[in-house]
Amino acid sequence: MFYPRIKSEIREPDPRDEEFYQDKLYILEHVRDVLLRNIEQLRLESEEQQGRDPVDHCKSRIKSALSMEEKLTRRGLPVTLTAALENIRDAVGVRVVCPFLDDVYLVRDWLSGCPGLRLVEEKDYIANPKPNGYRSLHLIVAVPVPMIRGHQECMAEIQIRTLAMDFWAALEHQLKYKQQIGDEETIVAELKRCADETSSTDINLLALRELITAGKEELSPAGSDKQQPEIKKHSALRPSLKRRHQYRHLKEAVH
Amino acid sequence: MRLLLAEDEKELSAALTAVLEHNHYSVDAVYDGQDALDYALTENYDGIILDIMMPKKSGLEVLAELRRSNINTPILMLTAKSEVNDRVTGLDTGADDYLTKPFAMSELLARIRAMTRRRSEFSPNVLSMGRITLNRANFELSGEKASYRLGNKEFQMLEMLMSNPGRLISTEQFMERIWGYDTEAEVSVVWVYISYLRKKLAALDAGVEIRATRGVGYSLEECQ
Repeated sequence: MFYPRIKSEIREPDPRDEEFYQDKLYILEHVRDVLLRNIEQLRLESEEQQGRDPVDHCKSRIKSALSMEEKLTRRGLPVTLTAALENIRDAVGVRVVCPFLDDVYLVRDWLSGCPGLRLVEEKDYIANPKPNGYRSLHLIVAVPVPMIRGHQECMAEIQIRTLAMDFWAALEHQLKYKQQIGDEETIVAELKRCADETSSTDINLLALRELITAGKEELSPAGSDKQQPEIKKHSALRPSLKRRHQYRHLKEAVH
Repeated sequence: MRLLLAEDEKELSAALTAVLEHNHYSVDAVYDGQDALDYALTENYDGIILDIMMPKKSGLEVLAELRRSNINTPILMLTAKSEVNDRVTGLDTGADDYLTKPFAMSELLARIRAMTRRRSEFSPNVLSMGRITLNRANFELSGEKASYRLGNKEFQMLEMLMSNPGRLISTEQFMERIWGYDTEAEVSVVWVYISYLRKKLAALDAGVEIRATRGVGYSLEECQ
Protein backbone atom coordinates (compact mmCIF):
# COMPACT_ATOMS: atom_id res chain seq x y z
CA MET A 1 0.00 0.00 0.00
CA PHE A 2 1.42 3.37 -0.97
CA TYR A 3 1.19 6.33 1.41
CA PRO A 4 2.44 9.75 0.44
CA ARG A 5 3.88 10.02 3.92
CA ILE A 6 3.49 7.52 6.69
CA LYS A 7 2.62 9.00 10.03
CA SER A 8 0.46 6.25 11.35
CA GLU A 9 1.69 3.17 13.06
CA ILE A 10 0.62 -0.04 11.45
CA ARG A 11 1.06 -3.31 13.24
CA GLU A 12 1.02 -6.36 11.04
CA PRO A 13 -1.14 -9.23 12.27
CA ASP A 14 0.67 -12.36 13.43
CA PRO A 15 0.30 -15.86 11.91
CA ARG A 16 -2.37 -16.96 14.40
CA ASP A 17 -4.57 -14.14 13.17
CA GLU A 18 -4.08 -15.22 9.57
CA GLU A 19 -5.18 -18.65 10.63
CA PHE A 20 -8.34 -17.34 12.28
CA TYR A 21 -9.36 -14.71 9.74
CA GLN A 22 -8.23 -16.79 6.73
CA ASP A 23 -8.96 -15.11 3.40
CA LYS A 24 -11.09 -12.45 5.14
CA LEU A 25 -8.03 -10.82 6.60
CA TYR A 26 -7.56 -8.79 3.44
CA ILE A 27 -11.03 -7.27 3.95
CA LEU A 28 -10.11 -6.10 7.42
CA GLU A 29 -6.81 -4.75 6.19
CA HIS A 30 -8.61 -2.94 3.42
CA VAL A 31 -11.00 -1.35 5.93
CA ARG A 32 -8.12 -0.29 8.15
CA ASP A 33 -6.25 1.17 5.19
CA VAL A 34 -9.28 3.13 4.01
CA LEU A 35 -9.65 4.69 7.46
CA LEU A 36 -5.96 5.43 7.85
CA ARG A 37 -5.75 6.99 4.42
CA ASN A 38 -8.73 9.21 5.10
CA ILE A 39 -7.11 10.41 8.30
CA GLU A 40 -3.81 10.86 6.47
CA GLN A 41 -5.60 13.04 3.96
CA LEU A 42 -7.06 15.22 6.72
CA ARG A 43 -3.62 15.66 8.23
CA LEU A 44 -1.98 16.60 4.96
CA GLU A 45 -4.68 19.01 4.02
CA SER A 46 -4.87 20.68 7.42
CA GLU A 47 -1.14 21.13 7.55
CA GLU A 48 -1.13 22.62 4.10
CA GLN A 49 -4.11 24.90 4.68
CA GLN A 50 -3.71 25.94 8.30
CA GLY A 51 -0.16 25.03 9.09
CA ARG A 52 -1.16 22.67 11.87
CA ASP A 53 -1.94 19.00 12.13
CA PRO A 54 -5.10 18.11 14.11
CA VAL A 55 -3.72 14.63 14.74
CA ASP A 56 -0.76 13.88 16.94
CA HIS A 57 -0.58 10.19 16.19
CA CYS A 58 -2.69 7.35 15.05
CA LYS A 59 -2.70 3.67 15.94
CA SER A 60 -4.54 0.80 14.39
CA ARG A 61 -4.96 -2.88 15.00
CA ILE A 62 -6.77 -5.88 13.69
CA LYS A 63 -8.24 -7.56 16.75
CA SER A 64 -6.02 -10.49 17.63
CA ALA A 65 -7.47 -13.97 17.16
CA LEU A 66 -7.07 -14.57 20.88
CA SER A 67 -9.08 -11.56 22.05
CA MET A 68 -11.65 -12.10 19.31
CA GLU A 69 -12.21 -15.64 20.57
CA GLU A 70 -12.50 -14.36 24.12
CA LYS A 71 -15.05 -11.77 23.13
CA LEU A 72 -17.16 -14.29 21.20
CA THR A 73 -17.13 -16.65 24.17
CA ARG A 74 -18.05 -13.86 26.56
CA ARG A 75 -21.02 -12.96 24.40
CA GLY A 76 -22.09 -16.59 24.14
CA LEU A 77 -21.52 -16.66 20.38
CA PRO A 78 -19.97 -19.51 18.41
CA VAL A 79 -16.24 -19.09 18.02
CA THR A 80 -16.27 -18.92 14.25
CA LEU A 81 -15.09 -16.44 11.68
CA THR A 82 -18.64 -15.87 10.44
CA ALA A 83 -19.90 -15.06 13.92
CA ALA A 84 -16.96 -12.70 14.42
CA LEU A 85 -17.52 -10.79 11.18
CA GLU A 86 -21.26 -10.54 11.70
CA ASN A 87 -21.40 -9.59 15.37
CA ILE A 88 -18.18 -7.98 16.50
CA ARG A 89 -17.83 -4.42 15.34
CA ASP A 90 -14.29 -3.74 16.46
CA ALA A 91 -12.37 -6.35 14.49
CA VAL A 92 -10.76 -3.28 12.97
CA GLY A 93 -9.81 -0.61 15.48
CA VAL A 94 -8.27 2.78 14.86
CA ARG A 95 -7.23 5.19 17.58
CA VAL A 96 -6.70 8.80 16.64
CA VAL A 97 -4.91 10.93 19.23
CA CYS A 98 -5.29 14.68 18.83
CA PRO A 99 -3.43 17.60 20.39
CA PHE A 100 -6.49 19.67 21.34
CA LEU A 101 -10.04 18.95 22.40
CA ASP A 102 -11.68 20.57 19.39
CA ASP A 103 -9.48 18.50 17.07
CA VAL A 104 -11.35 15.43 18.32
CA TYR A 105 -14.60 16.70 16.84
CA LEU A 106 -12.86 17.97 13.73
CA VAL A 107 -11.63 14.42 13.07
CA ARG A 108 -15.13 13.09 13.75
CA ASP A 109 -16.68 15.57 11.31
CA TRP A 110 -14.06 14.79 8.69
CA LEU A 111 -14.56 11.04 8.94
CA SER A 112 -18.34 11.22 8.87
CA GLY A 113 -18.05 13.43 5.79
CA CYS A 114 -15.76 11.07 3.93
CA PRO A 115 -17.43 9.63 0.81
CA GLY A 116 -18.47 6.04 1.39
CA LEU A 117 -18.00 6.04 5.14
CA ARG A 118 -21.19 5.75 7.14
CA LEU A 119 -21.38 6.77 10.77
CA VAL A 120 -23.31 4.00 12.50
CA GLU A 121 -22.94 4.96 16.13
CA GLU A 122 -21.32 7.62 18.23
CA LYS A 123 -20.59 7.38 21.94
CA ASP A 124 -19.34 10.59 23.43
CA TYR A 125 -17.49 9.68 26.59
CA ILE A 126 -16.10 13.20 26.65
CA ALA A 127 -19.46 14.84 27.34
CA ASN A 128 -20.46 11.74 29.34
CA PRO A 129 -17.32 10.32 30.92
CA LYS A 130 -17.43 6.77 32.21
CA PRO A 131 -17.75 6.53 36.02
CA ASN A 132 -14.02 5.81 36.34
CA GLY A 133 -13.22 9.08 34.56
CA TYR A 134 -12.45 7.62 31.12
CA ARG A 135 -12.93 10.10 28.31
CA SER A 136 -12.89 9.45 24.58
CA LEU A 137 -15.10 9.72 21.52
CA HIS A 138 -16.04 6.31 20.12
CA LEU A 139 -17.40 5.89 16.63
CA ILE A 140 -18.62 2.83 14.81
CA VAL A 141 -18.35 3.37 11.06
CA ALA A 142 -19.36 1.20 8.16
CA VAL A 143 -16.77 0.98 5.41
CA PRO A 144 -17.73 -0.29 1.97
CA VAL A 145 -15.65 -3.21 0.73
CA PRO A 146 -15.70 -3.75 -3.03
CA MET A 147 -16.63 -7.31 -4.00
CA ILE A 148 -16.93 -9.01 -7.35
CA ARG A 149 -20.67 -8.61 -7.15
CA GLY A 150 -21.43 -5.18 -5.69
CA HIS A 151 -19.97 -4.41 -2.30
CA GLN A 152 -20.46 -5.26 1.34
CA GLU A 153 -20.04 -3.14 4.43
CA CYS A 154 -17.63 -3.86 7.21
CA MET A 155 -17.77 -2.22 10.63
CA ALA A 156 -14.84 -0.64 12.39
CA GLU A 157 -14.36 1.15 15.69
CA ILE A 158 -12.61 4.50 15.82
CA GLN A 159 -11.54 5.99 19.15
CA ILE A 160 -10.73 9.66 19.03
CA ARG A 161 -9.22 11.40 22.04
CA THR A 162 -6.76 14.06 23.08
CA LEU A 163 -3.20 13.46 24.19
CA ALA A 164 -4.32 14.18 27.75
CA MET A 165 -7.13 11.61 27.59
CA ASP A 166 -4.77 9.11 26.00
CA PHE A 167 -2.15 9.75 28.65
CA TRP A 168 -4.66 9.08 31.42
CA ALA A 169 -6.14 6.02 29.69
CA ALA A 170 -2.73 4.50 29.05
CA LEU A 171 -1.54 4.90 32.62
CA GLU A 172 -4.86 3.85 34.13
CA HIS A 173 -4.76 0.72 31.98
CA GLN A 174 -1.30 -0.13 33.29
CA LEU A 175 -2.31 0.40 36.91
CA LYS A 176 -5.47 -1.64 36.56
CA TYR A 177 -3.53 -4.67 35.46
CA LYS A 178 -1.06 -4.47 38.31
CA GLN A 179 -1.43 -6.87 41.21
CA GLN A 180 -4.11 -6.29 43.85
CA ILE A 181 -3.70 -3.08 45.73
CA GLY A 182 -5.39 -2.38 49.05
CA ASP A 183 -7.86 0.45 49.56
CA GLU A 184 -9.64 -0.21 46.28
CA GLU A 185 -12.18 2.60 46.73
CA THR A 186 -9.56 5.23 47.39
CA ILE A 187 -7.61 4.19 44.31
CA VAL A 188 -10.68 4.32 42.07
CA ALA A 189 -11.64 7.76 43.44
CA GLU A 190 -8.09 9.02 42.99
CA LEU A 191 -7.89 7.79 39.40
CA LYS A 192 -11.13 9.61 38.65
CA ARG A 193 -9.79 12.74 40.33
CA CYS A 194 -6.71 12.54 38.11
CA ALA A 195 -8.95 12.24 35.04
CA ASP A 196 -10.99 15.29 36.12
CA GLU A 197 -7.79 17.25 36.73
CA THR A 198 -6.24 16.22 33.44
CA SER A 199 -9.32 17.20 31.48
CA SER A 200 -9.48 20.52 33.29
CA THR A 201 -5.98 21.23 32.00
CA ASP A 202 -7.04 19.95 28.58
CA ILE A 203 -9.81 22.56 28.36
CA ASN A 204 -7.51 25.30 29.64
CA LEU A 205 -4.99 24.56 26.90
CA LEU A 206 -7.73 24.82 24.27
CA ALA A 207 -8.84 28.15 25.77
CA LEU A 208 -5.23 29.35 25.67
CA ARG A 209 -4.81 28.30 22.05
CA GLU A 210 -7.94 30.25 21.13
CA LEU A 211 -6.68 33.31 22.98
CA ILE A 212 -3.37 33.08 21.17
CA THR A 213 -5.03 32.46 17.79
CA ALA A 214 -7.34 35.41 18.31
CA GLY A 215 -4.33 37.64 18.81
CA LYS A 216 -2.78 39.33 21.75
CA GLU A 217 -5.26 42.20 21.86
CA GLU A 218 -7.78 39.70 23.19
CA LEU A 219 -5.71 39.43 26.35
CA SER A 220 -7.24 42.70 27.36
CA PRO A 221 -8.04 43.60 30.94
CA ALA A 222 -11.52 42.77 32.01
CA GLY A 223 -14.42 44.76 31.45
CA SER A 224 -13.94 44.25 27.79
CA ASP A 225 -17.18 42.67 26.71
CA LYS A 226 -15.58 40.48 24.11
CA GLN A 227 -17.00 37.04 24.14
CA GLN A 228 -14.85 33.97 23.76
CA PRO A 229 -12.91 34.64 20.56
CA GLU A 230 -14.01 32.55 17.61
CA ILE A 231 -11.42 30.55 15.77
CA LYS A 232 -11.13 31.77 12.25
CA LYS A 233 -8.77 29.11 11.16
CA HIS A 234 -10.72 27.19 8.56
CA SER A 235 -11.45 30.13 6.32
CA ALA A 236 -8.69 29.19 3.90
CA LEU A 237 -10.16 25.79 3.14
CA ARG A 238 -11.95 25.18 -0.07
CA PRO A 239 -15.73 25.34 0.27
CA SER A 240 -16.45 21.63 0.51
CA LEU A 241 -13.99 21.28 3.36
CA LYS A 242 -15.19 24.44 4.99
CA ARG A 243 -18.63 22.94 5.31
CA ARG A 244 -17.31 19.92 7.06
CA HIS A 245 -15.18 21.96 9.37
CA GLN A 246 -17.55 24.62 10.46
CA TYR A 247 -16.62 25.76 13.90
CA ARG A 248 -20.28 25.50 14.85
CA HIS A 249 -19.99 21.73 14.87
CA LEU A 250 -17.03 21.85 17.17
CA LYS A 251 -18.71 24.20 19.54
CA GLU A 252 -21.84 22.11 19.73
CA ALA A 253 -19.84 19.01 20.16
CA VAL A 254 -17.62 20.36 22.87
CA HIS A 255 -20.60 21.65 24.80
CA MET B 1 -20.80 50.60 54.28
CA ARG B 2 -24.23 49.75 53.01
CA LEU B 3 -26.84 48.14 55.24
CA LEU B 4 -30.27 46.69 54.66
CA LEU B 5 -32.67 47.26 57.53
CA ALA B 6 -35.81 45.12 57.59
CA GLU B 7 -38.08 46.24 60.44
CA ASP B 8 -41.85 46.55 60.18
CA GLU B 9 -42.34 49.05 63.02
CA LYS B 10 -42.10 52.28 61.06
CA GLU B 11 -41.11 54.45 64.02
CA LEU B 12 -38.38 52.13 65.19
CA SER B 13 -37.15 51.81 61.61
CA ALA B 14 -36.99 55.58 61.17
CA ALA B 15 -35.07 55.99 64.42
CA LEU B 16 -32.62 53.24 63.57
CA THR B 17 -32.09 54.63 60.08
CA ALA B 18 -31.32 58.08 61.48
CA VAL B 19 -28.79 56.73 63.96
CA LEU B 20 -27.14 54.45 61.40
CA GLU B 21 -26.85 57.22 58.84
CA HIS B 22 -25.41 59.46 61.50
CA ASN B 23 -22.75 56.77 61.92
CA HIS B 24 -21.85 56.88 58.21
CA TYR B 25 -23.79 53.89 57.03
CA SER B 26 -25.94 53.95 53.90
CA VAL B 27 -29.27 52.39 54.83
CA ASP B 28 -32.05 50.87 52.75
CA ALA B 29 -35.10 50.47 54.95
CA VAL B 30 -37.78 47.89 54.07
CA TYR B 31 -40.88 47.00 56.06
CA ASP B 32 -41.74 43.40 55.20
CA GLY B 33 -40.03 40.08 54.56
CA GLN B 34 -40.71 39.97 50.82
CA ASP B 35 -39.07 43.36 50.24
CA ALA B 36 -36.19 42.33 52.47
CA LEU B 37 -35.60 39.26 50.34
CA ASP B 38 -35.90 41.12 47.03
CA TYR B 39 -33.51 43.86 48.12
CA ALA B 40 -31.00 41.43 49.57
CA LEU B 41 -31.03 39.32 46.41
CA THR B 42 -30.47 42.22 44.03
CA GLU B 43 -28.26 44.63 45.95
CA ASN B 44 -24.84 44.18 47.43
CA TYR B 45 -24.88 44.90 51.17
CA ASP B 46 -22.14 44.77 53.75
CA GLY B 47 -24.65 43.73 56.40
CA ILE B 48 -28.36 43.00 56.89
CA ILE B 49 -30.46 43.66 59.99
CA LEU B 50 -33.53 41.41 60.02
CA ASP B 51 -36.47 41.61 62.39
CA ILE B 52 -37.98 38.17 62.93
CA MET B 53 -41.65 39.16 63.21
CA MET B 54 -42.51 40.73 59.86
CA PRO B 55 -45.49 40.63 57.50
CA LYS B 56 -45.43 38.50 54.28
CA LYS B 57 -42.29 36.59 55.23
CA SER B 58 -40.71 36.16 58.61
CA GLY B 59 -37.09 37.13 59.16
CA LEU B 60 -36.24 33.44 59.52
CA GLU B 61 -37.73 32.60 56.13
CA VAL B 62 -35.83 35.47 54.51
CA LEU B 63 -32.62 34.31 56.19
CA ALA B 64 -33.08 30.72 55.01
CA GLU B 65 -33.80 31.77 51.43
CA LEU B 66 -30.80 34.07 51.30
CA ARG B 67 -28.43 31.38 52.53
CA ARG B 68 -29.94 28.91 50.05
CA SER B 69 -29.19 31.42 47.29
CA ASN B 70 -25.57 31.60 48.38
CA ILE B 71 -25.93 35.15 49.71
CA ASN B 72 -23.33 35.25 52.44
CA THR B 73 -23.82 38.80 53.66
CA PRO B 74 -23.52 39.06 57.46
CA ILE B 75 -26.97 39.06 59.06
CA LEU B 76 -28.02 40.32 62.47
CA MET B 77 -31.42 39.13 63.73
CA LEU B 78 -33.62 41.27 65.95
CA THR B 79 -35.73 39.13 68.31
CA ALA B 80 -38.12 39.55 71.17
CA LYS B 81 -36.92 38.42 74.57
CA SER B 82 -39.25 35.44 74.66
CA GLU B 83 -38.24 34.03 71.25
CA VAL B 84 -35.47 31.69 72.40
CA ASN B 85 -36.27 29.08 69.76
CA ASP B 86 -36.17 31.73 67.05
CA ARG B 87 -32.72 32.81 68.13
CA VAL B 88 -31.43 29.24 68.04
CA THR B 89 -33.07 28.55 64.67
CA GLY B 90 -31.73 31.84 63.33
CA LEU B 91 -28.15 31.13 64.31
CA ASP B 92 -28.36 27.58 62.99
CA THR B 93 -29.82 28.77 59.69
CA GLY B 94 -26.85 31.05 59.15
CA ALA B 95 -27.43 34.30 61.05
CA ASP B 96 -24.21 35.83 62.33
CA ASP B 97 -25.57 37.42 65.48
CA TYR B 98 -28.77 38.44 67.25
CA LEU B 99 -29.97 41.21 69.49
CA THR B 100 -33.00 41.07 71.77
CA LYS B 101 -35.43 43.95 71.89
CA PRO B 102 -35.28 46.35 73.51
CA PHE B 103 -31.62 47.12 72.96
CA ALA B 104 -29.23 50.01 73.48
CA MET B 105 -28.27 51.81 70.28
CA SER B 106 -24.61 51.65 71.22
CA GLU B 107 -24.81 47.86 71.42
CA LEU B 108 -26.45 47.60 67.99
CA LEU B 109 -23.68 49.73 66.49
CA ALA B 110 -20.99 47.65 68.19
CA ARG B 111 -22.56 44.41 66.93
CA ILE B 112 -22.80 45.76 63.37
CA ARG B 113 -19.15 46.76 63.51
CA ALA B 114 -18.14 43.37 64.85
CA MET B 115 -20.27 41.53 62.30
CA THR B 116 -19.04 43.41 59.25
CA ARG B 117 -15.47 43.25 60.50
CA ARG B 118 -15.60 39.48 60.89
CA ARG B 119 -17.50 38.89 57.71
CA SER B 120 -17.72 35.41 59.17
CA GLU B 121 -19.52 34.15 56.15
CA PHE B 122 -21.93 31.33 56.26
CA SER B 123 -20.42 29.10 53.62
CA PRO B 124 -22.19 25.98 52.46
CA ASN B 125 -19.80 23.26 51.39
CA VAL B 126 -21.41 22.95 48.00
CA LEU B 127 -22.42 25.98 45.95
CA SER B 128 -24.98 25.40 43.25
CA MET B 129 -26.42 27.36 40.36
CA GLY B 130 -28.05 26.32 37.11
CA ARG B 131 -27.07 22.74 36.50
CA ILE B 132 -23.68 22.91 38.18
CA THR B 133 -22.31 22.49 41.66
CA LEU B 134 -18.98 23.62 43.06
CA ASN B 135 -17.67 21.59 45.96
CA ARG B 136 -15.57 23.68 48.30
CA ALA B 137 -14.07 20.64 50.00
CA ASN B 138 -12.55 19.02 46.91
CA PHE B 139 -12.66 21.83 44.29
CA GLU B 140 -14.83 19.73 42.01
CA LEU B 141 -16.99 21.52 39.46
CA SER B 142 -19.73 19.10 38.42
CA GLY B 143 -22.43 19.13 35.80
CA GLU B 144 -25.07 16.48 35.35
CA LYS B 145 -22.78 14.19 33.37
CA ALA B 146 -19.17 15.19 33.86
CA SER B 147 -16.96 16.94 36.36
CA TYR B 148 -13.68 18.84 36.42
CA ARG B 149 -11.21 19.36 39.22
CA LEU B 150 -10.35 23.05 39.28
CA GLY B 151 -7.02 24.60 40.04
CA ASN B 152 -6.64 26.99 42.95
CA LYS B 153 -7.13 30.34 41.17
CA GLU B 154 -9.86 29.05 38.89
CA PHE B 155 -11.70 27.66 41.89
CA GLN B 156 -11.49 30.91 43.82
CA MET B 157 -12.76 32.89 40.86
CA LEU B 158 -15.75 30.65 40.33
CA GLU B 159 -16.37 30.61 44.08
CA MET B 160 -16.57 34.41 44.06
CA LEU B 161 -18.90 34.38 41.06
CA MET B 162 -21.17 31.68 42.46
CA SER B 163 -21.28 33.29 45.91
CA ASN B 164 -22.55 36.46 44.27
CA PRO B 165 -24.87 35.29 41.50
CA GLY B 166 -25.81 38.03 39.10
CA ARG B 167 -23.49 40.55 40.72
CA LEU B 168 -20.72 42.26 38.85
CA ILE B 169 -17.22 41.59 40.06
CA SER B 170 -14.46 43.76 38.65
CA THR B 171 -11.05 42.63 37.48
CA GLU B 172 -9.56 44.62 40.35
CA GLN B 173 -11.72 42.76 42.88
CA PHE B 174 -10.58 39.41 41.46
CA MET B 175 -6.96 40.55 41.53
CA GLU B 176 -7.17 41.82 45.12
CA ARG B 177 -9.07 38.87 46.55
CA ILE B 178 -7.28 36.09 44.70
CA TRP B 179 -3.88 37.29 43.60
CA GLY B 180 -3.36 39.83 46.34
CA TYR B 181 -2.10 43.41 46.17
CA ASP B 182 1.55 42.56 45.72
CA THR B 183 1.12 40.21 42.81
CA GLU B 184 3.50 40.19 39.88
CA ALA B 185 0.67 38.92 37.68
CA GLU B 186 -0.73 41.15 34.98
CA VAL B 187 -4.42 41.97 35.02
CA SER B 188 -4.84 40.04 31.77
CA VAL B 189 -4.57 36.88 33.84
CA VAL B 190 -8.16 37.46 34.96
CA TRP B 191 -9.38 37.32 31.37
CA VAL B 192 -7.43 34.11 30.79
CA TYR B 193 -9.07 32.46 33.79
CA ILE B 194 -12.48 33.74 32.75
CA SER B 195 -11.84 32.00 29.42
CA TYR B 196 -10.98 28.75 31.20
CA LEU B 197 -14.15 28.89 33.26
CA ARG B 198 -16.36 29.80 30.32
CA LYS B 199 -15.11 26.80 28.37
CA LYS B 200 -15.81 24.50 31.29
CA LEU B 201 -19.26 25.89 31.94
CA ALA B 202 -20.05 25.40 28.26
CA ALA B 203 -18.65 21.86 28.24
CA LEU B 204 -20.78 20.97 31.26
CA ASP B 205 -23.92 22.49 29.72
CA ALA B 206 -24.07 24.45 32.96
CA GLY B 207 -27.15 26.57 32.29
CA VAL B 208 -25.17 29.55 33.58
CA GLU B 209 -22.66 31.78 31.85
CA ILE B 210 -20.12 34.42 32.74
CA ARG B 211 -21.16 37.73 31.25
CA ALA B 212 -18.79 40.61 30.77
CA THR B 213 -19.87 44.22 31.07
CA ARG B 214 -17.49 46.62 29.43
CA GLY B 215 -15.47 48.61 31.88
CA VAL B 216 -17.26 47.11 34.89
CA GLY B 217 -16.54 43.44 35.29
CA TYR B 218 -17.98 39.96 35.16
CA SER B 219 -21.08 38.32 36.54
CA LEU B 220 -22.46 34.82 36.59
CA GLU B 221 -25.96 34.68 35.10
CA GLU B 222 -28.53 32.06 34.26
CA CYS B 223 -28.58 31.36 30.52
CA GLN B 224 -31.63 32.67 28.73
